Amino acid sequence: MSDTTNEKYLLEIKDLFVQYNTDDAVVHAVNGLNLRLKSGEKLGLVGETGAGKTTLALSILQLLPKKVGQIASGSIKYKGEELIGKPDSYMLGLRGRRMSMIFQDPMTSLNPTKTVGDQILEVLQLHFPDLSKAEKDAKVDEMLQLVGIPASRKGEYPHQFSGGMKQRIVIAMALIAEPELLLADEPTTALDVTIQAQILELMRRLKDQFNSAVILITHSLGIVAEFCDNVSVIYSGHVVEHGSVEQIFGSDAKHPYTAGLINCIPDLAKDEARLKPIPGRMADPRHLPAGCCFADRCPHCMEICKTVPPRMYEKDGHQILCHLFEEKDGK
Amino acid sequence: MLFGKKKKPLSEYSTGELIMFRFRKNKLAMVGVFMFLFVTIFILLAPLIRPYDLVVKQNISHKLQAPNTQYIFGTDELGRDLLARILYGGRISLFCSLAIIGIAFVIGAIIGGAAGFFGGKVDTILMRVVDMLMSVPSALLAMAIITALGNGVWKLVIALSIGQIARFARMVRSSVLTLRNMEYVEAAKCFGSSSRRIIIKHILPNGIGPIVVSATLTLGAVILSISSMGYLGLGVASPTPEWGTIISENKVNIQYYPYLGIIPGICIMLTVMSVNFIGDGLRDAFDPKTKS
Amino acid sequence: MATPLVEGIRLCKYFKTPKGQLHAVEDVNFKVFEGKTLGVVGESGCGKSTLGRTVLRLEKATSGQVLFKGENILKFGRKDMQKVQRNMQMIFQDPYSSLDPRMSIRALITEPLLVIEDKEKISSGEVKERVDAIMDMCGLPPNYSNLYPHELDGGMRQRVGLARSMVLDPKFIVCDEPVSALDVSIQAQILNLLMDLQDSQELSYMFITHDLAVVRHISDEIMVMYMGQVVEYTSSKELFAHPLHPYTRALLNSIPTIDLSRRNRERVTISGEVSSPINPTSGCRFAPRCPYAKEACKTSHVLKEVCPGHLVSCTEGAK
Repeated sequence: MSDTTNEKYLLEIKDLFVQYNTDDAVVHAVNGLNLRLKSGEKLGLVGETGAGKTTLALSILQLLPKKVGQIASGSIKYKGEELIGKPDSYMLGLRGRRMSMIFQDPMTSLNPTKTVGDQILEVLQLHFPDLSKAEKDAKVDEMLQLVGIPASRKGEYPHQFSGGMKQRIVIAMALIAEPELLLADEPTTALDVTIQAQILELMRRLKDQFNSAVILITHSLGIVAEFCDNVSVIYSGHVVEHGSVEQIFGSDAKHPYTAGLINCIPDLAKDEARLKPIPGRMADPRHLPAGCCFADRCPHCMEICKTVPPRMYEKDGHQILCHLFEEKDGK
Repeated sequence: MLFGKKKKPLSEYSTGELIMFRFRKNKLAMVGVFMFLFVTIFILLAPLIRPYDLVVKQNISHKLQAPNTQYIFGTDELGRDLLARILYGGRISLFCSLAIIGIAFVIGAIIGGAAGFFGGKVDTILMRVVDMLMSVPSALLAMAIITALGNGVWKLVIALSIGQIARFARMVRSSVLTLRNMEYVEAAKCFGSSSRRIIIKHILPNGIGPIVVSATLTLGAVILSISSMGYLGLGVASPTPEWGTIISENKVNIQYYPYLGIIPGICIMLTVMSVNFIGDGLRDAFDPKTKS
Repeated sequence: MATPLVEGIRLCKYFKTPKGQLHAVEDVNFKVFEGKTLGVVGESGCGKSTLGRTVLRLEKATSGQVLFKGENILKFGRKDMQKVQRNMQMIFQDPYSSLDPRMSIRALITEPLLVIEDKEKISSGEVKERVDAIMDMCGLPPNYSNLYPHELDGGMRQRVGLARSMVLDPKFIVCDEPVSALDVSIQAQILNLLMDLQDSQELSYMFITHDLAVVRHISDEIMVMYMGQVVEYTSSKELFAHPLHPYTRALLNSIPTIDLSRRNRERVTISGEVSSPINPTSGCRFAPRCPYAKEACKTSHVLKEVCPGHLVSCTEGAK
């Protein structure tokens, strides 16, 4: 475990800082984020609006808005290769083939003027130009069948499908090149809960079939608990807690933010008079505080929290970024 | 607001202030503002520069003089001071064009607004009327009306307004159609707002932006139409000066006395360009994609 | 049995489309009592939003009655409606489009009072007092008065929407997915606020949502809808303890949970998609997707009271 060479991790992000340079001020979207993903692993990235999850995903794919977005410092290594600074041509070879992304809104992810079959075919044409037309068509049919859409419908246009089916098509496009890494940004948020269950089931099956690693970005703790192996909780642009699903939801040791999030969810089993929300709002990314970003909302805030940024405490792979645990452990 | 300094972070400004701020940043738009102000101020100060009688006073002995110290813009065939005629002619050009836009806008907004808000039969009937107006080229329509009514400033205004109504009616209608489905309009219905109140308080303020932009851009075209009508001898009659009419009445002499055409031509060009810059600037300022 | 504050009787709403009649709301009956909340649950296309709008007359009902304190408001003329209107308000789902972007917070909240001001002769001093009180009640600090919607986050905007509907002192509020667009921690704040207001102001809610966890927390009774039809209607305790309809069971089963012990439960995923409610058959609309569908299902769909206070159209899900 301690002798990890870069090859062991599919994706390794170290001390990533990403900012948006707007007219008004500099928005610090990602602040010192660390992440490691192994091949075939399912990692859930949980956080609320403004935590920096989508920025992170776009940074990995080097798709930040050109003028405004900037990776200030840090490293993103894919299979040992540093991605920051690589030319567009290199990234074009990776995107769609080795790394794929599914976006949140299936309504706008598909081109309304092309048939769904053509859009899936396009991915093959870009990354497997040597296959014959017949082979490509066969692959498209096979993929559609896998995602539960009759191959006979490949000549239809996106508007003829429902939201859930559009998302399946997007998944088909993302997986047809058999990528090693799949980034799914809130793939089921826009869908009904029964359709969501179908889509998650589908993703589970396909992930097993293709052995892709998945980073699932969501604000839903429930989805993460059901689908993922490991979880990273993101707050104000950095990871505040990381561990396996059992450690995050099972053990008592938790980052106060994670604990707060879990308490907010109405419990289906118990009858509570009032929910326990987390007071206040996330820190303004334009003016980040000196100490811990969660300090002003934390029920266990101590003096040191306001001035000194906390360090990562780790036990058996369960990482918590909080002064509380540092003190306890004496590290 | 146009010239103040930025005091607070961007996100705390109201939408109106943000639009002004973006407008200010657009250099071409600000050039347009200055040019337009320059022209307007000169025209407004006309009586201080040249008394009105110089517009009509003929001094044949001084005819066809090129620009010199006594007559800054020179004189025309009848010895009339060109500067005076340009200054007062500008008043007519600007006043008419603003009046035309104003009238067309108000009438068009009422028609388009009613059609968009009430829908159904009201919409169908009103839009067919608009279609009829649009089926005739506006220049021809204007010419026909002036020929029927005779020359004169107000008759010119009426004739050209009618041609512009259709455009505004359509724009306002499409704006209203979008806005009336907004949730805040539904909310207003919930607590009993009358249709009139909803239109005035909610739909108008939110829809006005793109329409104002279009109106500004049309201003340039209208000034040109007035001048074209003037050149054709329609609308404004001699001896009332107007930039286009000035060019027209001097067309015989332009070959040998080019200043008679160039000077009014430049005035028209400057005014129309400045208004176009302002209009473009406003359109960019209203465009939410310019937001960072 | 007390008289309900708001009651719907055989309410139907159909829309005309080029392809035929869209049966958005089909023969819905409900009762909302004073100080209580009726949760309306279902997925997209089930007609719950249309139901809410029809109850408030934002949509014109095709047939049926809506009784407010025993009187059918669907038959009211303008004058009578004006008297009742202030008692029945709505909170919208999208905190971004439900507030006029050109009005300040204070102006937004004051607006409803201005609409009725002339008729009810309220002085401007009283208006100011009332707005101050409402802002305080909804957790809006006074220095927010001159801010504009785009300067606030989703949770704050939703508070403004709530304040706006509360300022007329209504008795009944239709909440159309009021927390769906908000972050989890903010959802909890708004839900608590809604419940506090219900206690202090004796409010009744029709709470429309697709989120079963949320609806359980806030509702006294729950109505489950599918494609315009009511499939199950009972108290919220009973619904979660003994769901009977196959659709209700599938819904409950689909909710992802952080309870790790349930991680490997048997998944009851419903196959297929919601079909179109245009010119539907007269029977149960869930039949095409139901694993227990029988011939009889295609022709009949009746809500029966299988135990006291528990109405359901099909008990196959219990097996």
